Amino acid sequence: MMWRLIGLFLVISGTVVGQNKPLLFNVDDLPQTLMSNPGAQINFTGHLGIPFFSQIHLSAGSTGADLYDVFANDGTNINTRIQEAMRNMDSRDYFSVNQQLEIFSMGWKLDGKNYLSTGIYQELDVFSYFPKDPAILANEGNNDYLNEPFDFSDVSFTGEIMTVYHLGINHKFDNRLTVGARAKFYSSIFNAESTGNTGKFTTYTTPEGRNVYNHEVVDMNILINTAGFAPLKEEEGMTVDQATAELLSRSFFGGNVGFGLDLGLSYILHEQFILSGSVQDLGAVFHRDEVENYRYFGAYETSGIEPLFPELDANDEALPYWDDFEDEVDRNLRDETTNESYTTWRPIKANFAMEYGFGPAFLPCHYLSVKKGRYMNLLGIQLRGVKRPKGFVYSFTTYWDRKINNNQRFKVSYSLDDYSLTNIGLMYTRTFNKFNVYLAANNLLAFPNLAKAHSASLQLGMQLIFND
Amino acid sequence: MKLLLKFLLRSIGVMLITGGLCGCVKDVDLDQREEISLSPDVQIDLLIYDIDQSQFKDPSTGNLKTHISDTVRLEFLDDDYIQEDLTTVEFYFRHINTFPREIESKIRFLSDGNREQFAVNYTIKPGVDGNPVTTEQFEFIEEDRIHLVRRTIKMVVELEVQPGSAKFEGELDFASKGLFSFEF
Repeated sequence: MMWRLIGLFLVISGTVVGQNKPLLFNVDDLPQTLMSNPGAQINFTGHLGIPFFSQIHLSAGSTGADLYDVFANDGTNINTRIQEAMRNMDSRDYFSVNQQLEIFSMGWKLDGKNYLSTGIYQELDVFSYFPKDPAILANEGNNDYLNEPFDFSDVSFTGEIMTVYHLGINHKFDNRLTVGARAKFYSSIFNAESTGNTGKFTTYTTPEGRNVYNHEVVDMNILINTAGFAPLKEEEGMTVDQATAELLSRSFFGGNVGFGLDLGLSYILHEQFILSGSVQDLGAVFHRDEVENYRYFGAYETSGIEPLFPELDANDEALPYWDDFEDEVDRNLRDETTNESYTTWRPIKANFAMEYGFGPAFLPCHYLSVKKGRYMNLLGIQLRGVKRPKGFVYSFTTYWDRKINNNQRFKVSYSLDDYSLTNIGLMYTRTFNKFNVYLAANNLLAFPNLAKAHSASLQLGMQLIFND
Repeated sequence: MKLLLKFLLRSIGVMLITGGLCGCVKDVDLDQREEISLSPDVQIDLLIYDIDQSQFKDPSTGNLKTHISDTVRLEFLDDDYIQEDLTTVEFYFRHINTFPREIESKIRFLSDGNREQFAVNYTIKPGVDGNPVTTEQFEFIEEDRIHLVRRTIKMVVELEVQPGSAKFEGELDFASKGLFSFEF
């Protein structure tokens, strides 16, 4: 049974791997570890977050251009650099921003085997592939790209702001296995997405044709869904404060809702080897209110307008060629705005980690603190990934997790991901009596000059952690 | 060991504080954003026609009508992106003629009040023994004259058949396009 469970998690983790806070994964001193793996082994009996300060998380990245590529102060022309950056990127390059703010968090041990945790956090997640072809068309036009299609499927993005209410249980099954689950209720404040678009625009040279070129739009079907945007659009003259208040009012069950689940486990394979894995945000948000869908679709081709040289008197009006042309275009390339409900799947995240512990710890223990096999050092590898519109975004991390004493701990990590091959991260946590603070940052080598960084990430927080 | 841990701890503290709080942005000039512009060069087909001798026949008399013309409104020339962001245009006109006579082509660009802004006039070479002969003409409207395009809303195509003894039979194909350069 245990092996089947582990096998299942390995399979899931192999195909859907990831989360964006690797330094907080498997840190058994921190309650935040339960947010990335509800089945994590934990080493505390209760926690209470300082409201709005128990976790502040920010991460941003670009696999293509960085700030320096565009704004370098090197005397060259910025538009030339932008053109070069655009040409160097492809449609699988992406930009992402993720932010989380824990509003409230608490948890307590129910008995020797069960730990209940609950809380509320706000999340912003924006992910956009680089829309290469439309961007090149806008920046350079079609002159240098004759006979080459501009592909509208390059337009692919998701963006959402939501409040998440959650309740999780961590259950120690036996001395080896700990499992956990977390139910989530999503209250979406704002959502915009456009994925699965199709269509191509091509300007063909036609040496044997009627004109020099033939312009073709084929199979165009672009859909942009938005929820929560329409009321803001209608409120002309709304100030930023008013817009913020309007958005916040929706964060408390006022907007569109959804449900999700996190699942996780950890298993002591051997006294010193621990396997752990989790899947987060298996869920969806159902957008029913304040929905607007913008759709552009159709196909058309033209080589120009054809005058017919009709017999006209001097006072006759010319034939309305342009109006006819516009009508024909409008009949064939259409746009519509609708208010149809839609569902968005949350970006599933998954993690798998394997740790090796050494240097036994002789730290004070408590009868409720049932974790066995504690070590001062943990060497680990971690696979993680997030499901995005065009596939999974993966990364691989190795780390050394060092417990200095009962109150202090640090973790050093090295990650390989789409952003960087030199991503070194550090986490440090310290507890003063029951007051805990932690700070973690990724891609530290880039921090001295963020302009040349392709990504950066930071988590910090403070809370009360009980162990008695 | 204790010393090593202490050193590590302090190093980590310094690095985290330095990295987290003092992470900075160097070697860039964000004021350059004012200079960012889009500069697309867009090839656009304009007018086409393929006509034969029937187009030059007067329907009431059946005689040769030596002058024909037509007018096409190009409403897109009144759009904001033309009025504000167009920098240059290179027009290209091509006639392929099998008629055995020269034909004078006048392509006139008029404002809404029918005032001529600019014109492109040239002679279409005659076909040779019924074989087509191509006449091409370019007209570059540079930035100094771009206001003329901005004032234009109509394109008038006129053909004037030149006198000759050869029987007036054949075909005349017309193609035209513009390379519109913008700076947004």
